[in-house]
Amino acid sequence: MSKNQGWLGWLFASPYLLYAIIFFLLPLVWSLFLSVTDWNLISPTYSFVGIDNYTAALKSQGVQSAFFVTFKFMAVFVPLVIAFSIIVALIVQGLPRFKGLFLIGFFLPYLASGVVSSLIVKGILSYNSPLNEFLRGFGIDINWLGSPFAALFVVALIIAWKFTGYYALILTSGFESISKDVYEAALIDGVTPWQRFWKITFPLLYPALFTVLILSIGVTFGIFTEVYQLTGGGPNFATNTWQMEIFTKAFSNLQAGYASAIAIIASIVTFIAIYIIRKLLELWGKRNGWT
Amino acid sequence: MKFKKAASLVLAASLTVSGLAACSNGDKSNESTKDGVTTIEFWAAPNPTQQVYWKEIAEEFTKENPDIKVNVSPMKESPTSEAGIQSAIAGGSAPTMSENINRGFAAQLSESKALLPLDELEGWDEIKKNRNMEDTMKGWEFADGHQYVLPIYSNAMLFGWRLDVLKELGFNEPPKTYSEMLEVAKKLKEKYPDKYVWAKPDLADPTAWKRWFDFFMLYNAASDGNKFVEGTEFTGDKKAGEQVLGFVEELQKADALMTRQSKDPFETGLGIFTDIGPWTIPYWADKFPEMKLNETYALALPPVPDGMDTENVKTFADTKGLVVYASATKEQQKAAAEFIKWVYSNPENDLKWLEKTSLPPARDDLTTNDTFKEFFENNPELQPYAAAVPNAIPPMDNSKYNDIQTFIGQHAFNPVVKGEKDPKTAWKDMQEAIEGALK
Repeated sequence: MSKNQGWLGWLFASPYLLYAIIFFLLPLVWSLFLSVTDWNLISPTYSFVGIDNYTAALKSQGVQSAFFVTFKFMAVFVPLVIAFSIIVALIVQGLPRFKGLFLIGFFLPYLASGVVSSLIVKGILSYNSPLNEFLRGFGIDINWLGSPFAALFVVALIIAWKFTGYYALILTSGFESISKDVYEAALIDGVTPWQRFWKITFPLLYPALFTVLILSIGVTFGIFTEVYQLTGGGPNFATNTWQMEIFTKAFSNLQAGYASAIAIIASIVTFIAIYIIRKLLELWGKRNGWT
Repeated sequence: MKFKKAASLVLAASLTVSGLAACSNGDKSNESTKDGVTTIEFWAAPNPTQQVYWKEIAEEFTKENPDIKVNVSPMKESPTSEAGIQSAIAGGSAPTMSENINRGFAAQLSESKALLPLDELEGWDEIKKNRNMEDTMKGWEFADGHQYVLPIYSNAMLFGWRLDVLKELGFNEPPKTYSEMLEVAKKLKEKYPDKYVWAKPDLADPTAWKRWFDFFMLYNAASDGNKFVEGTEFTGDKKAGEQVLGFVEELQKADALMTRQSKDPFETGLGIFTDIGPWTIPYWADKFPEMKLNETYALALPPVPDGMDTENVKTFADTKGLVVYASATKEQQKAAAEFIKWVYSNPENDLKWLEKTSLPPARDDLTTNDTFKEFFENNPELQPYAAAVPNAIPPMDNSKYNDIQTFIGQHAFNPVVKGEKDPKTAWKDMQEAIEGALK
């Protein structure tokens, strides 16, 4: 590669590099600085507090709950969204025509405002909504947003609804990449539909599924709008996510330094968790000979 | 070598960005005054009626004062107006002045030197005198002796009762004491087991501001307006606090509280008691025309412990006001003072505010000034609010109000509502948490 070509590469990469510096590197450095101060961003004075913000954060009920709530969301949201998106992708695959149109239809919730969908769900799940009146007619009375598991499940379900179309799009491209010859050969060998899915489709879909799994796990670390609108992190911290905790401390309590420490802890937890999960998924894929 | 190249590129880019950022910090003074016209940025509350009011007022003002231009724009809600203001101050794009500021948030801002003490504005005493708000302003002095907020309105919060249901239960007027209210609860559950006295999800929600509309309405009534916190001291009235929590516990035991999310619980009659602000009246006129004062509903002061005076009962004042930001230039500060003076020297502007928003202006002469007489005659639903203004206690002016009010919910009010704690333990736990935060 000539020297000129090298500079050309830098030139083409520079917009993204600049973007990454402005929106990732500088805020990260800024957050690290803030996290060792007691600054609220608007006061003319502040003091350095060392690691006090970190120790206080690790001891706080809000941070501890955010840690566990994220994994609870992961346990509910990831299987839900994966199942929904596989179903949608399979349905779309089976359509004789207008596949693209249907995929766009399923993709639309991804573009919908989280605030609007949360408010609609709030209305649907209110005590005196037609749905609850109907359920009470059968003796079923669920406190959707007031009991810890139900509230967590509702939030996970809304987010799953939002992301299903997007992930189905990725999975559909995975389905499309599977050669029809393989299925035809399997048909000749007399495999059942069940065997066909688990022995052919699933392994060949694994790369796309891997992407969707990592993306959906990442989503659980960034949940905010739905929780903010529906539960405010309650009941009893049952839906208190990292983002909710950071927002409350930074913008309700004006503790930007402390909130930055929580943000740094959250990013470390996110990085480690995603790294471990990714490695486990890779191992799973290798063991089964899917990758 | 490669690393060196990459590092130098990152450094160069960082410097470029820093340079670009520095370019934005121009001379604010020159920006605010151009060709002899000083421009002030005014952020109005993020609701259409208040925006319309301020836009019209700003236009009228500029007609009479062509050397001052008032740009009115809605306050950014990202996702709350407080967060929007904080971000703007941090980013150096704060407006000259804004409305919609409560005392607690003003205390946070003033502690960070982000607000201009209004008493240092030219002609401040004249403004107070002209608006007839000298008595009101006494309660607005902050801990450092300054006044940072000009209260625009003061909503003495009242409780609404479903009068139609009360009458069905054999009561001709809303109960005034705890035992009277518990009697209503008993009769209600006997006749309508599926109805509740107080149906409101916020009762079980620890979000700080929600305590203004349940705990503080009851506490101010029970304690005769006792200050909850003074400076760094917790000064809550233990007896009154435990009485309030004990009363809530009794309601919970009587199955009279409902904390599930529900749609229009008061309007649909699921609950027969709730806090009502004056903003609800025009909303009902539009969405629930069947809600008629003294027919379907009645307005009342908060219930008090047995044996207390039931006439001059204190309540919570939902009150917000106007502030001038410290980042404003000298010219803008002067122009802001002129604008405030102009707006509040004419009671017609307060009348216009009242007509547009139904929020009672925070003035001492609201019930006696002839300017407002006709309005209240035509809007009898708002008369009880105007009458209750002298008994309305504004929120605490503590910069840690958010923590304090969250603790009231988390350690005391919410668990008692849910039947998880007894009043004495709840008060003790809450006091310990608040004292810890105030240290």
